[in-house]
Order: sequence, then structure tokens, then C-alpha cells
Amino acid sequence: MEKSTSGPVRAPRRPVPWDVVTTDTSHIRNFCIVAHIDHGKSTLADRLLEVTHTVEGRAMRAQYLDKMDLERERGITIKAQSVRLLNDGYELNLIDTPGHVDFTYEVSRSLEACEGAVLLVDAAQGLEAQTLANYHLARDAGLVIVPALNKIDLPAAEPDQRSKELADLLDCDEADILRVSAKSGEGVPALLQAVIARVPPPVGDPEKPLQALIFDSMFDPYRGVITYVRIKEGRLPSRARIRMFATRVESEAEETGVNAPDPTPVDSLGPGEVGYLVTGLKDVHHAKVGDTITLAGKHGATEPLPGYREPKPMVWSGLFPAEGGDYSDLREALDRLKLSDAALHYEPESSMALGFGFRCGFLGLLHMDIVKERLEREFDLELIATAPNVEFQVFKGDEVTVVHNPAEMPEAGEYDRIEEPIVFATVITPADHLGAVLELCQSRRGEMVDMKYLTTERVEVHYVLPLAEIVFDFFDALKSGTKGYASLDYEPWGYQDAKLVRVDVLLHGEPVDAFSTIVHRDRAYPYGKQMVERLKELIPRQLFDVAIQAAIGSKIIARETVKAKRKDVTAKCYGGDISRKRKLLEQQKKGKARMRRVGRVDVPQEAFIAALRVDDGSSKEKKK
Amino acid sequence: MTEGAGGASPESERAGIYVHIPFCLTRCGYCDFNAYAGLDHLAPRYLRAVVAEAGLAAPSWDGARVESVFLGGGTPTMQTPADLAALLEHLRATFDVDDDAEITTEANPDTVDEPKLAALLAAGYGRLSMGAQSFDPVVLASLERIHQPESVRRAFDAARRAGYENVNLDLIYGAEGETPESWEHTLGEAIGLAPEHISAYALTVEPATPLGRAVAAGERPEPDGDLQADMFAIACELLGGAGYRHYEVSNWAKPGFECRHNLGYWERRPYLGIGAGAHSYRENHRWWNIRPPEEYMAQVESGRLPVGGEERLDPSDAYLEEVFLKLRILEGIPASWVDEDVAAPFIESGLLEDEFGQLIPTERGMLLLNELVLALTGTN
Repeated sequence: MEKSTSGPVRAPRRPVPWDVVTTDTSHIRNFCIVAHIDHGKSTLADRLLEVTHTVEGRAMRAQYLDKMDLERERGITIKAQSVRLLNDGYELNLIDTPGHVDFTYEVSRSLEACEGAVLLVDAAQGLEAQTLANYHLARDAGLVIVPALNKIDLPAAEPDQRSKELADLLDCDEADILRVSAKSGEGVPALLQAVIARVPPPVGDPEKPLQALIFDSMFDPYRGVITYVRIKEGRLPSRARIRMFATRVESEAEETGVNAPDPTPVDSLGPGEVGYLVTGLKDVHHAKVGDTITLAGKHGATEPLPGYREPKPMVWSGLFPAEGGDYSDLREALDRLKLSDAALHYEPESSMALGFGFRCGFLGLLHMDIVKERLEREFDLELIATAPNVEFQVFKGDEVTVVHNPAEMPEAGEYDRIEEPIVFATVITPADHLGAVLELCQSRRGEMVDMKYLTTERVEVHYVLPLAEIVFDFFDALKSGTKGYASLDYEPWGYQDAKLVRVDVLLHGEPVDAFSTIVHRDRAYPYGKQMVERLKELIPRQLFDVAIQAAIGSKIIARETVKAKRKDVTAKCYGGDISRKRKLLEQQKKGKARMRRVGRVDVPQEAFIAALRVDDGSSKEKKK
Repeated sequence: MTEGAGGASPESERAGIYVHIPFCLTRCGYCDFNAYAGLDHLAPRYLRAVVAEAGLAAPSWDGARVESVFLGGGTPTMQTPADLAALLEHLRATFDVDDDAEITTEANPDTVDEPKLAALLAAGYGRLSMGAQSFDPVVLASLERIHQPESVRRAFDAARRAGYENVNLDLIYGAEGETPESWEHTLGEAIGLAPEHISAYALTVEPATPLGRAVAAGERPEPDGDLQADMFAIACELLGGAGYRHYEVSNWAKPGFECRHNLGYWERRPYLGIGAGAHSYRENHRWWNIRPPEEYMAQVESGRLPVGGEERLDPSDAYLEEVFLKLRILEGIPASWVDEDVAAPFIESGLLEDEFGQLIPTERGMLLLNELVLALTGTN
């Protein structure tokens, strides 16, 4: 079993099996596959590797291109990859794209590296929001779309119906839609032929100054930062002094190569080509997705490629070690994780209730989940994560403050207005459940943009929604309201004015900072009520009545009481009981020592974890 | 394992002896004592083993004055008065038992009548501790006790007629189905019999019992701590009103009738436990016998002390025991042992009282004794 996941490093070097220094781009095709989770993208990629003899049967394994354990377990692609396939004298570069809304920007950069996209749709399930969103991205990027229905051999497949739906969306002829079974391989050779015939070859001038687009960047412990690049103009030699436009960092590149599918060094990459570059850098923050690489010095390009964006966290959460002493371990783990995750932000945070930890910024809920899981799994940490929140812009006079921690939220009256991020959301739902979807979006402060029947029984709805609502539990509500049939995708859409309040939770009059959150005024009461009810079940009885209150400023909006404990004594304590009794007391003592103290109230660690557990959808999504 | 008991004992050492008789008519669902039903055939051999163990242990207790003997179980009164008399005679012959020692036997109401009790009294068992548990048939059934309230009254009257002037009644409260009213009734009945001593225990669910397993499986409810707290308050009120002094968390006595043997445990005086599973204690050294009767007997018969385990208390262990035991018997601990600001909130909230420099739990404090102990001994 191939276990190497570290990129080009330890792979055997093989002779280059074809002429990779050709400047003739007419035999190159760069394409990606756009599909919803579970619609068979990875399986199709596996078949393409086989059909083109890129991977022979013996070395084949499922989800060949998904190298991280997490990717395989969740059936999603987190990192982009490219693989070179050879077919009939054509060089086909399949660029795998991340498959989640959190990584929309990364997807758009992968699309920039292509001239065409296979739009793969499950013949049983039909179009989903994610497919549609990525289709729009692909179309906007000027890609030629090669539509294909997958899983045509499933009993539940309705290829004719789906064909109609797809033809309607793409405004194409149904005859142009290919039918494949990625599982059996049926129709896959025809799909390859269609890619060659329909996707145009890349264009580029080898004589121009180098412009190479970074569409993925990763950290390899042995070789440092490796970027995946698409050469737009010029030529990238295997060893050269290079410069990153956005970060202005220069370095000595060590190697260029292509994945075929194992990493294979080449002398250079020419215009239109896709491959990897061992940059000689040690930190992924110096080579970010979307940035342009050129040659250092006077031969370099003067302009970067358009479209670079700094990775911007959308969702924030506090991460705290469950054991206070693990703070330095957590810091070290984050420092190491950051080497391979340019989108991860963090800064030290201290909480009265949870001690020392980090305020972390993520691209979205899935990204948050992945980071937390990697920290726990790869660094053996036990973490408490506070409820995720979005980032707010607080305006006072001419000043704008960005707040991503409820603790930093100014008191009412200390600011002029607050803006919150909004998203443009696409929901695709069976028509039967349209009512539930509309009701949900309305109740989450959504503004409908438009609505379109894809077929008589499937509807595409667009809403502008506050991101905070999606972060809350939107995905769960959507799934339960539509029996799991609706799908959701969204993209950032700017900011809007919002009536936001900070809800604090108080134990015996002491605010518990870890439970404070910023919510829309209308959501304050349900949140407060939910928290106090949860905590009532989680906080052990103390020697006095403990009031659990939710408050906005000084106004109490919800309250519960944990009645004082009245009895904690052993009834019998005779000659044979004393020793056991003492040991029980010592146990009790240890338990108490592990509790966190909020004012006079002892709160067990588990209560924090349980109270902060938010069914945020990403956890459900991964099981989908 | 005799080294702990082997040192020269001070001339003035006062000790108690506990003898464990593990046989019972039936096993009650809540009971986690080292007791067995259906092993009666072992009794004669077992009693011989007890006597033999006493002989083996005696040399290291040479010079100790025995102030109390307590026969517990099990149900010691399943044995004949003659056997129990012989047992006590052996103990007196082996140890330096005071003439006025407090000598108690536990008794099950169904296993005693007037002649038997008269014989026990004549043999020297001057104090009787009777397992009444409840005067409510519903509660007795819930506890799986086989006797009826009537047999308690009958046994108690028999004890009085036989000449007993120091009798304890054991009561249990908070079993499934018991209400405060039923508990008041039970207390009233007990007070009506006017025993010298009453022990009232909140029913405790031990995991390794049939009741514990039934509770864990959700088949039976866990005792309601708040209800038991109410019942405790009722006991304090009714027993106090009837002239019983509350001298330990679960024990009340007419003045002068406090159980000297049990006070020995709580005051951390030395005691020797004889019989299967019995614990012994002497000067921060505790050891205990093998629990299964067969193994216990085999060990003794081979001429060895049947010790199953031991522990030595380091100063912090000893301190913790000292504190929780002193608080249990309402002697309290010197205020100087505890930081003032640690004790203050408990005094303010009425769980502790500072009486002339001693910190003593109040009635409410007694119910929260574990919390008090943890707070007063620090959580480090």
C-alpha cells in the first residue's frame, strides 16, 4: 500500500517518459472535475488514472489523490492536487479541487489553472448547490464545461430526467451530456475523448517573463514548502531564483516536476503546463495560494496575475487545552500546523473560566473542525472550543474596529453601529420542501434574491443571509427541515448593518467569559435560554443555590437555579469503613481540584465542553 | 504480618475487639457486608477458627486493656447462646477484658426469644443491638427484610423481660416507597419502645449489591438525597425531643449510653478485628483479614494470622481521618487547625459552629460532612 503522503520528496526518481519541455501547447489539456460530495469525483479520478495507465492496477487504491487521512475519512478533498495523465499523445492535467464551501477561494484558484471542467452530476440525485456554485465559478473563470452524469448504472438513476435538468442549466444539447459509471468505468474513455475534443489547449508565450499561478501550497517536513503551479507565461526552470509577488519573498527554487502520479522531476515547466515547485521556502505563508511566482531580478515579470486574495478568516473560536498545563503544547502544535495551513490565524487569549488558550480564525466551520481534529489527533491534545462566531466591524466616528471575540465587544452606547458579514447562499431543494427552506431562510434574517425551478420538482433558491446565522445551526435546520434533501452553498457577500447584542452567562453573579457570545437581538433570548437550561443540567449542586443567568448588559433575559446540595455524607462509618471512606474523600478531592472555579462555583471541565457543544452542521456534514 | 502489632504496648493501652460472624438467614439487597446466607454448616468450624485467631493475635496485644467487645455480622444470634457464651469465655481467657467492658452483640429480631436473650445476658453480653430497620411493612419489604414490625416489638419486649437495660435499635430511612410520614411513624414506634440507643442510617446504595445493580440498571430509583435530608431533620427533631443526644452523624443515645466500642473507632483508639474480613487498627497502622470464610479458616487452621492486607497511614492520611472522624462525632476540630477565612463562609452559612475554639458541624453541616472535610483539609 502506498503510504507516502509527503509529496515529491521520497518518491523514486524515474526517467521522464515523455517530452515535457515541448513548447507546443496544442497537446496539453488542463481540466478539473466539479462535483458535489459523494457524486463520484474521486472515483472518476481513480478511473482516469487507470484508463490512461497512469497508475497500474497493482498500485491502485481508492481515492488515490486524497492523501490526507482526514480527506479519505470524510470523503472530501481539502488540498488541491494535480496529476498528469497521458492519452493518445495528449498531456492531460487533472487538477483536483477542494470540495467545500470553506475553500471557495482555493477552488477559484484551481479553476484558474484550467481551461475546462467536467461537471459531474449524480444521475440519481441530480444537481446540488455545491455543484452549482462551483459551476458558476468555473463559468465565470471562462472554463469550457464538459457535463457528465455519473452512476448511470444505479437502480435509482434517472439519466433522462437529470439530462434535461442539466441541459437546461447549461443551455446545451442533451446529446452533449456524457453518461458514465465511474465505478465500472463505463463511458470513461468517451469522457476522456470529449475532454480532449472540447477543452481548448492553454495559451502562453515561453519568451515572456515568468508568471506562475500558485493554486496550492503545502509544507513538507523534508523539503519545505512545495507549491502547485500553473505556468501562464514564460518558463520556470528547475533551479532558479524566484520571487513571490504578494509576499515579496525571494528564494532559490530546488526542483520542478510533475505528478505522474508519483512526483517526477522535470527540467522546467513551460507555458500552459501544470506541476510542482520545491520552493526552498520554509513557511507556507511565504507562498500563498493565488500568488504569482516570477523570476527574481530583471528577468522577472513586472505585474502579478490578477485575483490574489489574502486568506481571510470567517469564523472565530477560542481553543483552550482541557488541561491547563497543555498550553505550551497547544502553542507548539498551532505553530507547526500553521506551517502547512496558511489560512489558520491565532492569537493568545486568556479566559477567566478556561485559562490560557488561543483565539483562532478559520475559513469556515469545516476548516475549524479539521484544525481542531488535527490538533487533537496529530498532537494528542484535548481541547475545549468556544462557540464559533463571525467577525464584526464596529464603527465609532471615523474609526472601524474589527471584533472577533465577544469579550472585545464594546458596551451598547459605546459605538455608532455594527456591521456583520453576509453571504450569498444557494440552496437547492426538492419542491416539496421549498416551504420549509423559505421559512428557515426568512427566520434567519435572510433576504431572498431569486428562485428558479430547475425542473418541476427541484428548485434553486438564492438568499443573502448573515454568516452568523449559518454558523449557528443553519445546516442542521436545513437538513432536518428537508429530510436531508436540500443542499447549501454560499460565498462571502460583504457586510451589512446589524442589531447585535452580547449575551453573557453568569454563574452566581459572575460572568463566564467562555460563554459570552454576540448574537442578533432576536436570537439573544433563545441562546440565553438554551445556555442556562443546559448549564442547569451540567453544573453539580454546590453548598449554596447557584443562579444561572443569561444577560444583555445588566438585563437578565433567562434564569435557572441549581438548588444547593443538601446531603453528602456517609451514613455508616465503622471500623471496616474508615479506610475506604478516606480514599473516597481523596478521590473527591482530586475531582474538585480538576474543576474550574468561577467565582465561588466549581464547574467541571466536562460542563464547559458539553455546554459549548454546538451542532454546527459541519459535524453532520462529514458523516453525510 | 505481625510487625505492626508486635511492638511493646504501653501499659495503659485501651482497645476494643470486634468479632465478625458472617452467617445470615438471607442476604438483604442493600447489604455490602461480608455476610453469607446458606453457609451455616461452616459455623462450628468457623467459631473454632475465631478462637484460634484470637490465640494467634493475643501475644501482640499483651498488656492492652480491652474495654469493649462487639459481635457483629452477619447475624451472630443465629448461633446458640452456649456457643456465643463459649466464645466470650475464650476471649476473656485470652485477653485482658475489663470486668465492666461494654459487650455488645447484634441481634436479628427473628432469631431471638426471651430465654435465648436471658442466656446471652447471663453470658456477659450486656448490650444488644437490634436490626429493626423500619416499622413500615412497605419499607421492610423494599429493603428485603424478612421480619415484620411486630417481631421487632416482640423481640424488644423479650429483651426487656430478659433483663436488658442497654438496647440499640438500628433504623434505615430513605428506602424506595418511604415517605416522611412513614419515617415519622417508624421513629415514633422506636421512641415508644424507649431503647437506650438509636442508630438511624440513610439508605446508601452500594454498587456491589443487588440493589446497587438494580439502581445502575435503572430498575430501581436512586434514593432521593433531598428527601433523605428531610428525613434526617425529622430524626434530629423527634429523637432530640425524646431525650436522645445526637452524638454521631447516625447515632443517638440517652445520656451515658453512647456506644463505647464505636466511639473507639471514631476516636482512633486501637481495635483488633477477629473473623473473616475484620479490620484492625493500631497507631496509624491498619490491617484486615481475608474476606472469604473458607480461606480465612484455612489460613488460621494452618497456624498463621489470616491477614489479607494492610496500610500505613502517613501524616496526611492520618490527619484526614482525624478530621472527618472528629467532625462525625460532633467533637469537632480545633479552630486553630484551619485558616480563618476557610472556615468563615461555612460558619456564616450555618454549616459549622465555633464553640469555644472548636469547629463543630451543625445539623445541616453534618449532612454535608464530605464537603466540609474537603474544604477544611484543603483541596491540594
